[in-house]
Amino acid sequence: MVRVVKSTILDAPVDRVWGILRDFNGHDRWHPAVKASSIERHLPSDLVGCVRRFQLQDGSELREQLLTLSDLEMTFSYCLLDTPIPLFNYVAHVRLLPVTDGNRTFWQWECRFTTRPGEEAAMAKMVGEQIYEAGFEAIRGHEQLAA
Amino acid sequence: MAKVYTSSVVNAPAAKVWARVRDFNGLPGWHPAVGESRIENGEPADKVGCVRDFRLRNGDRLREQLLGLSDYDMFCTYSILESPMGVENYVATLRLTPVTDGARTFLEWTAEFDCAPEREAELVTNIGTGVFQGGFDALKRHFGG
Repeated sequence: MVRVVKSTILDAPVDRVWGILRDFNGHDRWHPAVKASSIERHLPSDLVGCVRRFQLQDGSELREQLLTLSDLEMTFSYCLLDTPIPLFNYVAHVRLLPVTDGNRTFWQWECRFTTRPGEEAAMAKMVGEQIYEAGFEAIRGHEQLAA
Repeated sequence: MAKVYTSSVVNAPAAKVWARVRDFNGLPGWHPAVGESRIENGEPADKVGCVRDFRLRNGDRLREQLLGLSDYDMFCTYSILESPMGVENYVATLRLTPVTDGARTFLEWTAEFDCAPEREAELVTNIGTGVFQGGFDALKRHFGG
């Protein structure tokens, strides 16, 4: 089992960051890797169990299922159902916490997965840098944060 | 039940910040409000269940019991046994979480307690901004931000 944990501090109130992140169907509006997103069967994107279908910038598709969503804890979890890359048993957790000192936000994004033998380090680097850290930077520059 | 939540960021790796705060008998070494501290009955300061007897610089005396300590998750939970604060069922946790972006540390200090309703707002402010943020500010000064 590979574990990836990335975290950052955003210079914005936690409610504002959560307002962007909580939409399970909204990642195509801020994450550079995601070209298009839709929820299958027209379910609401905050219905636990709903499945989102991503089209990535390279044209490949993946499907992910929302496992938990909490507006109280400002957390959500999801798993990969279908993916063109060798990430198996992938479950990810996103968690926001307020930094009361300065009205900022602590954001942690972590996952566990298995992959083909020998590809653990490459997959961990890809997920950590191209998905999580790239997501941090995209939100840091998001116009809604400054609103 | 009154709740206090105070959090901050210190510009140092979590392992270094943890090394400074994990000693249950070590408050005088890093918290500016605490003058002296000892562990009762000569027990080790990381023995869960041990009691620290300490004095604030203003002369107040407190006894607190260590309820939980984890070097893996970097948290410390304790309760107040005796204090002049007028609180009951007071349980607090100091928790550190690494910020991977920049090798910094996210610190949370939380407390729950019962008190007379008319004193709740004052106590929440004193504990949250005085004791907890006061400790964070001292850590930020020590670690340079």
